Formats: sequence, structure tokens, C-alpha cells
Amino acid sequence: MPIAHAGHWLTNIAYFLPVVAFLVWLVITQIRERRRSRG
Amino acid sequence: MSLIAHGLVARSDLPIPEWLFGWAAAMVLVVSFVALAVLWPQPRLEREHWRPLPGGVGRVLGSRPVEILCGAVGVVLLGVVVYAGLRGTQSPTANFAPTFIYVIFWLGLVPASVLLGDVYKAFNPWRAIGRAVGWTAGRVARADLPAPLTYPDRLGHWPAAAGVFAFAVMELVVSNGDRPENLAIATLIYSALTFVAMALYGVETWIDRGDPYSVYFNLFSRLSPIETRDQVVGLRRPLSGLAALKPGPGTVPLLAVMIGSVTFDGASEAPIWTGIAPDIASFFQDVGVSPQRALELTFFVGLTGTIVLIYCFYRLGVVGAKSVGGGFTTGRLARAFVHSLVPIALAYVAAHYFTLLLFQGQGLSFLASDPLGDGSDLFGTADSQIDYTLIGANATWYWQVAFVVAGHVVALTLAHDRALALYDQAKLAVRSQYWMLAVMVGFTSLALWLLSQANA
Repeated sequence: MPIAHAGHWLTNIAYFLPVVAFLVWLVITQIRERRRSRG
Repeated sequence: MSLIAHGLVARSDLPIPEWLFGWAAAMVLVVSFVALAVLWPQPRLEREHWRPLPGGVGRVLGSRPVEILCGAVGVVLLGVVVYAGLRGTQSPTANFAPTFIYVIFWLGLVPASVLLGDVYKAFNPWRAIGRAVGWTAGRVARADLPAPLTYPDRLGHWPAAAGVFAFAVMELVVSNGDRPENLAIATLIYSALTFVAMALYGVETWIDRGDPYSVYFNLFSRLSPIETRDQVVGLRRPLSGLAALKPGPGTVPLLAVMIGSVTFDGASEAPIWTGIAPDIASFFQDVGVSPQRALELTFFVGLTGTIVLIYCFYRLGVVGAKSVGGGFTTGRLARAFVHSLVPIALAYVAAHYFTLLLFQGQGLSFLASDPLGDGSDLFGTADSQIDYTLIGANATWYWQVAFVVAGHVVALTLAHDRALALYDQAKLAVRSQYWMLAVMVGFTSLALWLLSQANA
């Protein structure tokens, strides 16, 4: 059942990929900056 | 009405999938962000710049006789709404009250406020009645009336947030929220509460700070370049009205309610909600609640939960902005940037409801002639019909995307300008805005996903 409806779910997730990707990039950037400031 | 709000015909033959519109919208925001960082190096909106309309036009439009006339129109409409609700047919689509309240008033006044300024203040029937009663009492007493109480600062916009929430509950939760009689009774209850508040704190103070409808439409009117000062209508720098907003306690919750209620209205048609709603309703029925109340409680939980989620998402962005430095508390930052949520609220309302305004708004022509639904034809338009061919499904989608993108670009601009004014260093200001950009992209994605669910 989950696989049968995967297309529907994947389409829904696709809407939010930009914000998820952006948040991941933000978090990684902040971690790197903190390491740089400590080092 | 909900059906019309979300379109009658499924979209077809779009050049790209709907979710790709979301990615394109996100790219537009990112490009806008970069453009602002490069081309907007100094705050511009914090400086006030107001001038009256030329040729005495501003003085005439803002004059007391015009104000009294507008107030009288508002009072007449209020009377018609209450009378029609109590005495007319209880069919929501054949009675003047539901369409006027939910479409003409609640939706129609939004674009009117954005384009023409705070027009609601002039037509506000409760303000007109309050001022008339105060003027009459002063004449009768032949002495100064007792001074009103000082409006508590800690109350802030909480009454407005509570009032807008109550309206959303009536609209989205209560089973018979569009029943004309219920709307008339709710209007009378609201009137009583408003008059008590006006008596306590003064008419103008309550209108400016606590009255739900006044505060709600005033927020949208701050996007307009038109502003009335000291009974003179004039022009100000676009968006500067929002930069001049003085947020207080309850302002962020108010914006969360405004965005969250529209979000829930859209999400309530999505499979994610229709899948879990029956389970929540079953839980309430298992504890002894009737099926109708269980459904209402379910929607109440959904509405409240959505509002809380919107609030938390904004706070997440604020916490992120705080993490870049600058020495500001999260509370300070939350209030500093809350004005940027107003164009987002506008984008949500416009994208979600403009077809309802376009279609059901036409119903005013036959409802004005037959407000009670009893076969009258006061103005000869009782036989007019709604033209559902005004706009197609694809064009609707394009307009919805345009509203969402435009609203969020404006929000980005406001947040960027505020950051420049807040932070000493431009670099810190831009870095803090990475998090606001994430919030904007999130709201954009959410808006487009919600709109896609309506035709899923």
C-alpha cells in the first residue's frame, strides 16, 4: 500500500524540498562557521 | 462556498507539474534575496514621508461629513445583516447575511484596504455608533464625560488575536457557522462586547489597539500608499506603513492566527487531514461526545494545531536569526520582523479566496435585491446569475502562484529593510535574513502545496 501511493506522497514531499534543502544548507553553514571561529 | 473558494474544475494541461511551480517560486525568492543584499544597502522604509493629496482632495475625503456618511452606510449595512439573519431564509446562499459577512466584508475589505488604505475605519459601524453615543452623551450631560481607562499595554493585540480566532472558529469549525440566524446572533454578541470595550477604553483607543476587525484590516491597509492623518487623506512611501507598525503583546499570535486559519482551511481538504480527522472524531465520540460536537472538536483541534505550527515555524526562523549574533532576544526579534508576516497573510488570503470573492461576490447583486430570500426584487437584480466562466482553472492557478510569490517577495523586502535598521553591521543583517528567507520559502512551499490540495 505505501508503495502504491508513493507517487502521491513523493509529489507532496516535492513541494517542501526547497525549504528542507535550504535549512540543511543553513545548518551546515552555521556549524562550519562555529568550527572556524573556535579554530 | 468552500467548493467555489477552491475552484470548480480541475486544472489540466499545465506546462510543468504543480510542484515545480513551487521550486520556481523558491528560486524567485532566492534571487530576490540576493538582489536585495546587493541593491538595497540602506534602510529606506523606516523614514516616514507623508504628504496630503493635492488640491484639497485629501481634506475633502477625510472630512467629518464624509466620515459621518461612511459611518452611516456601515450602520445601515449592519442593520440589514442582522435583520436578514434573524428574519430571512435560513438558506446560506439565499440570505444576504452569510455572503456579506464571509465574502464582501471579510474578503472584499482586504483588497480594498491594500489599495485604498484603512477604509474600514471610515465605514466601521461600531465606531460610528460609539462616537455618536459619546457625542450625544456629552451634549446631554453638558459636561466632560469621565475619562476612559488606560488601555493596558500588556493586553496589546491579544483581544484582536482572540477575536480573529473566534471568527475563524465560526467560519471553519462550527457546524452551522454559515446559518444566517447564527451569524446575526454572533454579530449581536460581538456588538455588545465591542460597546463595553469602547466604554471602558474609549472608542478610538479600542479601535486602534483591541478591536479584532479594525486591527485586522488596519494591518492590510499598511501596505497601501494611502493614509489618513488628522482627517486628511494623503500618500506615504509604499510599505512604510508596515515599517511604522508598533508590535506589542499578541501581535505575533495575531499574525499566526491570520495565516494559520487560511492554512487550515486549505489543509482541511488535504488527504493528510481527511485521513486523521475521523480518528480524532472517534476519540471524542468514545469519551461520550455527540457526533456533531466530535466533528466540531476535531476541527477545533486542527485549526488550533495549525495556528500553533505556523507560530512555531516563525519562531524557528527567529531563533535562527538570533543565532547569528547581535545581542537581541528572541522576543525582540520576533516583534521586529512580525510586520513582514502581513504580506504573507495577504498572499494566503488572496491566493486561497480570490475566486470565492470573484464568484460568490457576484451574488451580492441578487442578494441586495432579495436580502431575506423571500422573493423581493428591491433593485431589479434579483434574477441575476453568477458567471462562473469569468476565470478558468489554469488561469486561477497562475494568479494564485503570482499572489504567493509577490506576497513573499514583499515580505522579504520588509524583513531585509528592518534587518538593516536593526543590526550595526550589514553583514550580520544579511546573515540574519538567511533564516527569514528560509521562513519565506517555507511559507511559499506551504501555500502552493495547500492550493494544489484543493484540486487533488
